[in-house]
Amino acid sequence: MGVTEEPGSGRVRTGADAGPDDGGARPVPRHVACVMDGNGRWAQSRSLPRTAGHQAAEAAVLDVIEAARSAGVAWLSLYAFSTENWNRPGPEIDHLMRLVRRVVRKHAPLLLARGIRCRFLGVTDPRVPRELARDFADLTLLTEENRGMTLTVAFDHGGRRDIVEAARALIRGGVTADEVTERTFAEHLPHPDTPDVDLVIRTSGEQRISNFMLWQVAYAEWVFPEALWPDFRAPDFLACLHAYRRRDRRFGGLPAPTNGAPR
Amino acid sequence: MTPAPPPTPSDGPPTGPRPGSSGGPSAGPSAGPSEEVTAPGATAPPRTPPPADEPPPAADAPPLFGPGSRFHSFADDPRWALALIRATVLEAAHPQVGAALADNSTFVTHPWRRLRNTFRSLRRMFGADQAAREREAARLNRLHARMSGTDGRGRGYDAMDRPTRAWVAATLFESTVTMCRLSGQPLDPETTERMYAEYRGFLAALDGDADELPPTVSEFWPYFDRVVETELENTEAARIILYHLFDHLPAPALFEGAPTLWAAGRAVVGPLLGAVTVASLPEPYRRRAALPELPGARTLMRGAYLTAGLARFLPPGWISAESILDLLFLSPGSDDPRTRTVTALRDRMRRAGALLRLLTPLAGAAEGPGPGTYPGAPADARTEARTGTGPATFARRTAEEFFRTVLDQTGDGRLDWPDLAAMARELATRLDLDEPEETRLYDAFAAWWRELQAALDTDGDGWISAREYAAGVPSLAGPALIRVAEVLFDATDRDGDGAIGADEYHALFRTAFRRDLDTTGGGYGRSAFVGDFLAFMSGRRSGTPYDPLLADA
Repeated sequence: MGVTEEPGSGRVRTGADAGPDDGGARPVPRHVACVMDGNGRWAQSRSLPRTAGHQAAEAAVLDVIEAARSAGVAWLSLYAFSTENWNRPGPEIDHLMRLVRRVVRKHAPLLLARGIRCRFLGVTDPRVPRELARDFADLTLLTEENRGMTLTVAFDHGGRRDIVEAARALIRGGVTADEVTERTFAEHLPHPDTPDVDLVIRTSGEQRISNFMLWQVAYAEWVFPEALWPDFRAPDFLACLHAYRRRDRRFGGLPAPTNGAPR
Repeated sequence: MTPAPPPTPSDGPPTGPRPGSSGGPSAGPSAGPSEEVTAPGATAPPRTPPPADEPPPAADAPPLFGPGSRFHSFADDPRWALALIRATVLEAAHPQVGAALADNSTFVTHPWRRLRNTFRSLRRMFGADQAAREREAARLNRLHARMSGTDGRGRGYDAMDRPTRAWVAATLFESTVTMCRLSGQPLDPETTERMYAEYRGFLAALDGDADELPPTVSEFWPYFDRVVETELENTEAARIILYHLFDHLPAPALFEGAPTLWAAGRAVVGPLLGAVTVASLPEPYRRRAALPELPGARTLMRGAYLTAGLARFLPPGWISAESILDLLFLSPGSDDPRTRTVTALRDRMRRAGALLRLLTPLAGAAEGPGPGTYPGAPADARTEARTGTGPATFARRTAEEFFRTVLDQTGDGRLDWPDLAAMARELATRLDLDEPEETRLYDAFAAWWRELQAALDTDGDGWISAREYAAGVPSLAGPALIRVAEVLFDATDRDGDGAIGADEYHALFRTAFRRDLDTTGGGYGRSAFVGDFLAFMSGRRSGTPYDPLLADA
């Protein structure tokens, strides 16, 4: 995990740059992201309130974290709550905030023991409850020395907002127009040490990006399993990894791209 | 005001058999005070004044100052911490000192800095080096000459007032004697005499002579009792020390990362310290000032002194006051080798705190009302959660925070001349400035004060409130502030080569160059220095080396 020490994402190379290994199968993706979709539909199909779907998602999240860790995935990102999700009904948001807080507190010791470094992407909206933000900060602090897998939870996240923030940071930093390259831009994104996403898994068969880590998914492979997120389990996750490894990633015909580097 | 010591070959090797300077530094041109310096109790004939310009007769007596002195035998004594607090209360109870403290002192907001500076100063005053003592005395005199005014009742005060200064020396002496008595190891008459001579010498080094203090210990006690009974008052400064300081003591740099731990310890120790100090004060003063008599407080106080006295059985290195103070001032950015250990320890404590908070059971389902009712996540939590800004961007702080941590040095919620004078004092102390640099620095700060007053004091009441400051921040970087930066640069640049070298940088910031400065080779140039200083003072950047300079507790 020496990569995590490297300042600035510009120098971090993606997991795919090892090239195809023997037999044509690609190595395990370095950075896997999951768009956890289908909780509401899962609940509705069982005539349960939508909130029950979110509760059922907890087991899937833990299963996927464990599966990713044992499969050798170094970076796992989970899309938990988007900036657009604030448009949902108030009681559902309320419930979700309480649920997330409970889950974070319940599993903090486990995450620490498993050597997983946790951090949060977003969490800027004032509507995020103060206590929840505190817990996020505590979990980040608690696990920041861990050198196992890095788990990034996108909460109150919007890909465009991150890009706008990076642009603002560039302007505030007095960077001249000529100095702005893909690499310097990437260095101003939140968590700049995060490598490009290699594989995005979006459950429930939906095929959209939904404003998720827009900069980092530039060269990602996407898989769209039909399972709804509460039903998604370790075998499904491993199947997605397998599908990824069968694919031929060419990056537009060029080898070994770096994150945000000019090609 | 110059002490004008006699031309004796003072300060030989401290262990030497014939130092010959026993009374020298203290004696001054007037013969009076030097006699009992060398008259330790029974051995010497009492009170026969020797000729003024000759070293006193007692050849075997160790030098008055230096490592062999009584002062030094107590400097590392943990009991001395209690005694110093007690002495400070007795000083503050004097109306003159109390008024000066209330107006000028930074000890409420920056107690650790004050403690460290006081400690350094006492070390110099009681050290073996005669030249250093004269310099320190001159510096203290300049420092105090800048303090005068009127107290809340319209009575004038002057930090140069001679009887008042004698009282300061008297409280230090009396508290040391009392400390020994209270901890069950009273001093023998000889030692007491000797120590009294040292404190008179201390006063003489400051004031030229020690005539304001009675010549002998036996005459000292009536003097002390008289002042306690007739002059001391329940001043505001004394009340602040007894009832406010310990309960609100800000964390020293070492504990800055562990506010929970610090607050918890303070909640226990603060009231105890206050009770112990009250119980140890002289009975007449407690009556006059209407201080509470708590049941068990005297037992507690004796127990505290006894326990602190037991620390003398610890290995000597453990209780060196100097190294403890240095440790307290370790900040995360410092280049001290111990910083790594401390930082690792501090991180571990912070993580333990985080785990503890996460493991604390939730209050119940009732927590967390609906969205929109939250005023906002705490800024620190948000920046922690969003660590992606990188090391190059310094955190910005709000105008109120900057006002509180940097500008309002005296902690009275207003910005006026004593605040800026305290800044100048701290900078001059750090750089160990002599005249005329010191006056130049003060003048620059005074000019800045006039500029600030003209620009920010919109209601014309003579001081600047936090609100006035927040409204007028942009106009802060005027020509007078630039002048302050330039004068500070000149004062820091001792060799005058137009750049601040590594040693000069260390003197000011007490830490080594940051790496990016080091690589530029030629040190820290004038324009870069002025630019950074202005950015700190007006741009409200935190996390720079300037931060500990003026914001450290």
